[in-house]
Amino acid sequence: MGISIDWFAFVQVFAAALIGALLVVGFYAVGLRLLVRSGRAPVVAPAEFTDAITVITEKEARRAAKAAAKAAKKSPLTDRQKRLALVGAFGSFAFCAVAVLAGLALIVLR
Amino acid sequence: METAALIVVLVIALALFFDFTNGFHDTANAMATPIATGALKPKVAVLLAASLNLVGAFLSTEVSKTISHGIVREDQIEPLAFLPIIFAGLIGAITWNMLTWLLGLPSSSSHALFGGLIGATLVGASAAAIDFGMVLSKVVLPALIAPFTAGVIAFLVTRLAYAITRRYDNKPDGRDGFRWGQIFTSSLVALAHGTNDAQKTMGVITLALIMAGWQNSAHADPQLWVILACALTIALGTYMGGWRIIRTLGKGLTDVKPAQGFSAETSTAATILASSALGFALSTTQVASGSVIGSGLGRRGSKVRWRTVGRIAVGWVLTLPASAAVGAFAALLVVWLGPAGIVVDAVLAVAIIVGMFWRSRRNQVDSSNAMSEVADSGLAVKVKRNPPPTRRQRAILREERARQKAERAEERARQRAKERAKDAAPRTPRDASKER
Repeated sequence: MGISIDWFAFVQVFAAALIGALLVVGFYAVGLRLLVRSGRAPVVAPAEFTDAITVITEKEARRAAKAAAKAAKKSPLTDRQKRLALVGAFGSFAFCAVAVLAGLALIVLR
Repeated sequence: METAALIVVLVIALALFFDFTNGFHDTANAMATPIATGALKPKVAVLLAASLNLVGAFLSTEVSKTISHGIVREDQIEPLAFLPIIFAGLIGAITWNMLTWLLGLPSSSSHALFGGLIGATLVGASAAAIDFGMVLSKVVLPALIAPFTAGVIAFLVTRLAYAITRRYDNKPDGRDGFRWGQIFTSSLVALAHGTNDAQKTMGVITLALIMAGWQNSAHADPQLWVILACALTIALGTYMGGWRIIRTLGKGLTDVKPAQGFSAETSTAATILASSALGFALSTTQVASGSVIGSGLGRRGSKVRWRTVGRIAVGWVLTLPASAAVGAFAALLVVWLGPAGIVVDAVLAVAIIVGMFWRSRRNQVDSSNAMSEVADSGLAVKVKRNPPPTRRQRAILREERARQKAERAEERARQRAKERAKDAAPRTPRDASKER
């Protein structure tokens, strides 16, 4: 009695997981990059300060927000270019959401 | 028939208890990184994890089919006589989980379940009753390959996330924004956990129902009440287990950056969801651990602590045979003592449950027993506080140094020229009188 193993299934899992992760992380990172380009660099202080990580204090967060605003003011981009970058950023985030929902739909409808 | 009904009730109760402990133990897998990076408040994280585990349990039934219709060859067993064997297998799984928990050893609830069932079937039925091809392709190989797959993917996407958001002009890079993203990716991990882990219990209950003749063996899908019971139990376990994390607030986790946490969670969720769709029964703990190690390595200047990796890997490899041995012993009691063996097993199960409850009451909660193996995996990677510069950063530094050197040389030349001009200037009568 021979044991048959479907090796292709493992390749399928790897390919599907890799493509899914690349799309989500890649587009999310592009979205953040475009958000910074549009002059709206996100400064997100941790929801709760823990002692396990390198956290920023409220003072540091304020300083970071100030630096982001200063960098945005010095941006050589025109208003139109900034608006385009913002649209691109939200487009990238939306693409991430669609990719996740499409992945879940594939699993449910299988 | 009454005995069979009683055993089915016992199997369902024990399987649901196993489901509860699974959720209780694994809340940390989904929520350790968002809590550690401060993306979510612990209370919100736990509530989110519990709700999404509940939803995830309804998404797919492929893993459940693997257990109820794959591992055991139904044509090689006597259905009613197999019911106590399933019970013995569950005893094996829970006992091994209890032991590893008490000794602080890394383990996997899922593999303990498979080990217990396989060991009990080997002793209580025969080797022919186990479909080794299915065990190898749906349990053993995925167990070995999935953490590696998740690690490789996490490594690649971490690199990608850092490469896309890196800035060379010291202006804000926006990486803080990954904290927002972590709310969604950790939710996805909780959803994936519900999809894979709740189904394992559904599979065991469905197998017991088929053996008792309460469900048609041609119909592999779990019944709606089974799905609902397993979904609610795993969600409740997740919610109750979360309070232990709230008390510890992520102590013991290594320095996890938001971009790294986001990448690790995406890789974990993608691997578990893709595997669940194909019916691979994975250990979510192992996949999450693989992702944490991979994403840690994706950061510049990181190194692997092979000793820690080895300790974790030994725990993983041991789980399947060790729980199989305990399951086999429980089945041996049934074979030797008959109905009395089932009673002994039931007493053993009650003792374990009471022991777990008592231990959890007196055991002080700290980083070693609340943050699960995922935290241990974080320690397997050593990340430098000041990572070495990238190739482009080195080039920029070289250019900067060359520019400064040229500026200094230019300044020196200008000063020399100035001095020379001063020396060469014609002497006035006033200068001569000054010299005198």
